[in-house]
Amino acid sequence: MASTAMPAYAAGTLAGTTIENTASASYDGPGGATVSIDSNSVELVVDEILDVDVVSNDPGDVGVAPNEDDSVLTFTVTNGGNGPEPMVLAANASLGGDDFDPDATSIFIDGNGNGSYDAGVDTAYNAASPPSLDPDESIVVFILGDIPGSVGDGDRSEVGLTATAQTGSGVPGTVFAGAGEGGSNAVVGATGASDDDSGFYAAAVALIALVKSAVIADPFGGATQVPGSTITYTLVSSVTGSGSLPNVVISDSIPADTSYVAGSITLDGGGLTDSAGDADAGSYDGSAIAVDLGTVAAGTSNTITFQVVID
Amino acid sequence: MKIFLSFLALTLPMTGAIASDVALESTVLVERSEQMPDGTVSMTLEEPARVVPGDNLLFVLDYHNEGAEPAENFRVVNPLPDAVAFRDTNDAGAEFSVDGGEHWGALSALTITGEDGAVRPATNEDVTHVRWILDRAIPAGGEGRITFRGTVR
Repeated sequence: MASTAMPAYAAGTLAGTTIENTASASYDGPGGATVSIDSNSVELVVDEILDVDVVSNDPGDVGVAPNEDDSVLTFTVTNGGNGPEPMVLAANASLGGDDFDPDATSIFIDGNGNGSYDAGVDTAYNAASPPSLDPDESIVVFILGDIPGSVGDGDRSEVGLTATAQTGSGVPGTVFAGAGEGGSNAVVGATGASDDDSGFYAAAVALIALVKSAVIADPFGGATQVPGSTITYTLVSSVTGSGSLPNVVISDSIPADTSYVAGSITLDGGGLTDSAGDADAGSYDGSAIAVDLGTVAAGTSNTITFQVVID
Repeated sequence: MKIFLSFLALTLPMTGAIASDVALESTVLVERSEQMPDGTVSMTLEEPARVVPGDNLLFVLDYHNEGAEPAENFRVVNPLPDAVAFRDTNDAGAEFSVDGGEHWGALSALTITGEDGAVRPATNEDVTHVRWILDRAIPAGGEGRITFRGTVR
C-alpha cells in the first residue's frame, strides 16, 4: 500500500477524515505453507478543531480628518481549524482608553481579494450569512468608521474586530457533539475559537488663523486717512496642527468709501491678476478680493496684500 | 467510556480467523491527559471513536496462536494510516519502510530523496510501514503483544 502525501494544513488532518488501521501478519503453518492473516480494522474519525486568528493589517495609526466618512481599518481573519467554518464578525467601536469613538461602523469583506477597500466592489458583511473559510484560509476584513466633527488634533480611537467560529467558542477543549465537519464533533482549539485585534484612528486636525493689518500712506508722504490715501492691507493666514486643509480661499471685502487698486493683489510677495478666469490664484469680483490657496498643509503661512484708495 | 490498559487483555474480544490458527487483533487507544483537582496530570488511555490532530495514539497488536502447532516465521506488518505520524515503538526489533513497503531497515539507515534530488535522512514523519519479524516460533497457545505509538497529523 503506497502512502499518499497528506496535504499539510496548519491545524493538521482535515476534520471528518477517517483513520483506518489494519495490520497483517504471515507465518509458516502446519505443513510449511505460508498463511496470511489480517487484523480487524479500527476506524477513528478526526474531529473538527475550531480556531480563529484575527490580526490588524494597518502598519500604524490610520490618519483621519474630522467629519471624514468611511475611514478604513484593515484586518486579516484566518481559519486556524481543520474544517470549513463560518466566521461571525463584530466591530467594537466603544473600547475604552482612547480619545473618541467613531459615530458609526460597518464591516466589509474584501470581495476582490486585493487587500484594500474598494467602495462599490467589496461586499458588506451579512450577519445572517457569515463568510465560510476553509482550513488555513484567510480573508481581509474592513471596518469603515465615520469620524466625529469634534475630534481634536492627535486624538486616537481604538476599534476592535472580533471573529468567532459560528459552530461555537469557549474554553479550549469544549466539545460540540456532532457539530463538526462530516458529523464529527467540533472541539474548541487553543484560541478559544474566537480572536480579536484592534486598529487605531488618529485624527489629524488642521486649524487656520487669519491676521489682518493695514498701513496707510497719504498723498503727502504721511499716514493720515484722507481722500486719496492708499491703504495696504496685509492678510497672514497660518495653518497649524497636523494634516492639511483643502480648498482654502482667503477673501476680503473692499471697505465702503474706498476703491480697490486694480492689480494690487500679491501672494507671498508675487503679484497676482484680478481675473478669476486665469490660472493664477488671485481674483477681484468688483466688491471683494479672493486668493485661492487650494490645499494648505499644516505649518504653512501665506501672506496676501492688496491696496485700496480712500474715496 | 474509559478503559485502562491493564484491563484490555481481559475485556477485548479475541476474534479468531476461521482459516488460520493465529489471530491478530488490532486496537488503537488515545492518550488523554486530564488535570486532576490536586494539580497532578492523570494520563489515561481511552478507546476513542474520535480524535483531533495532535492526539497521541497507542496502536496495540495482540497475536494469539490458537492452533495445535507452532507458528514459524511470524511477521506482522502495520501500514501507517496517512493521517498518522509514527512516534516510537517498544520493540527494538522493528523495521521500517519510508517508501510504501518496498525497502526495509532501521530508520536511521533509510533516506528520503526529495523532488529536487536532494537526499536527507528519513524521520519518524516519513514512516509508511512498520513491521516486526519474530525470531522464534509462536508455540501452540502462545500469545504476545506489539505496541507502537503515533500522532494524529
